[in-house]
Amino acid sequence: MLFCAASLHADPSQIPHGTLDLVAENQWIAAGHGFSIGLFFQLEKGWHIYWINPGDSGEPPRVTWQLPSGLTASEIQWPTPRRLGSSSIVDYGYEGSVLLIVPMHATSSLVGSSARLAGEVKLLVCSDEMCLPGKTQLALTLPVRSQTPATDSRNANLFAAARKSMPRAAPANWKFSVADTNDSFVLTARLGRRVTRAVFFPLVESQIANAAAQTLGSENGGFRLTLRKSDQFSKPIERLKGVLVLPADGSHPEESYTIDAPVGKSAEASQRRAARFISRINFPITIVL
Amino acid sequence: MKRATLFSTLIVIMALCMAPALLLAAKVGAVAPDFTGAASNGQSIHLADYRGKYVVLEWHNNGCPFVGKQYNSGNMQNLQKQWTAKGVVWLTILSSAPGKQGYVSANEENAYLAKMQATPTAAVLDPSGSIGHLYDAKTSPHMFVINPQGVIIYDGAIDDKPTTDLADVPGAKNYVSVALEEAMAGKQVETPTTRPYGCSVKYSDASH
Repeated sequence: MLFCAASLHADPSQIPHGTLDLVAENQWIAAGHGFSIGLFFQLEKGWHIYWINPGDSGEPPRVTWQLPSGLTASEIQWPTPRRLGSSSIVDYGYEGSVLLIVPMHATSSLVGSSARLAGEVKLLVCSDEMCLPGKTQLALTLPVRSQTPATDSRNANLFAAARKSMPRAAPANWKFSVADTNDSFVLTARLGRRVTRAVFFPLVESQIANAAAQTLGSENGGFRLTLRKSDQFSKPIERLKGVLVLPADGSHPEESYTIDAPVGKSAEASQRRAARFISRINFPITIVL
Repeated sequence: MKRATLFSTLIVIMALCMAPALLLAAKVGAVAPDFTGAASNGQSIHLADYRGKYVVLEWHNNGCPFVGKQYNSGNMQNLQKQWTAKGVVWLTILSSAPGKQGYVSANEENAYLAKMQATPTAAVLDPSGSIGHLYDAKTSPHMFVINPQGVIIYDGAIDDKPTTDLADVPGAKNYVSVALEEAMAGKQVETPTTRPYGCSVKYSDASH
């Protein structure tokens, strides 16, 4: 069997305190098929990059693709982030090694026997002490053939691990709702099981105070998680989107779910707050009435 | 009107009157928390002394590439010059703890200001981070604009291009200048808050 001479691994690019590789899941591209490539970061200990919502500080990596006609790229599929930083400044991102999968599609109009995929990546790599910006050009040339692509066994583990670490859709019978209580969002989850720990990562900036403690009230069959609003929160929102992580406990490994829940005003909370003031101040007036 | 309905109405009115008191310190619409600090030129800076003027607070760390973008392009210096000429008080605040990036002595800060030709009203040294924590300053830069009545009218990023590229400075919308222009024209500030972007403020670990 003849193979086109093509690199399935681009040479790793140097970035501040690490390397960045453009890797392919498959050995070739087939016109009319989707496929995945990935940005593989390997960072020195103590250094990190950021999630799509970086949190209080930092910026996520941004890629601009240069692709031949017939190839299109979708948005990065972000693995479950980690909480980074201190008690006053909390960021969301990744340490060590992380693969950011980029789904792509080859239309049937893709011509030629090989395709050169290139991209410019702008990124910020930070430690607790400092931040260093980086910019790097990546390129990967893949053969183009008509047969259904075969996976590249050298990268199989990398892609499998990345997919495992991505948040998944919650089971259909789980119910989520969010109450807007003026200074917080309260996420109510009905899962049909008891949960004693949960962490919420907001997808959108400036909604949740990232450094504030997320207090959990455990109930039979679910929980309530109080998420203090960001100092920069301004306009009301209709839906709260993010990633909910249930850390590993005795009976379950760590689980991570995408959340997209409707936000309603908490009538209960407004009445409770008003009643507290009235009971302290207004009692004589109510007697007169 | 039934007693119960009148009672409920009173509850709502009382709750609405109480609402402003529920705003946290250092949020847009709240009175800017007062502070006293030592400037690099030896002055003592007391925020309340500037009541009656617009005040800009600029959180700074000379090692952060986002700050570098503003200073190496000359943009921050231009803003300081332009607005102090219009009577705005511009305070650069340095909240890096000793030993951390951005921490400087008074002499080092004065040398930096001279080298950069930066002309804030004063550079306030806040190595304990107490002023930073008072405002919950998160990044360098993180900008606040305070009006002559002492109320915060802007809290957030310096502009709308969260990058370290100098090339992004000329085309960026500068939120500080826009807020000052709108407020001085007697208009509502259209964008009173944004997510501040930059490097995290290097508070001391002891403040955890």
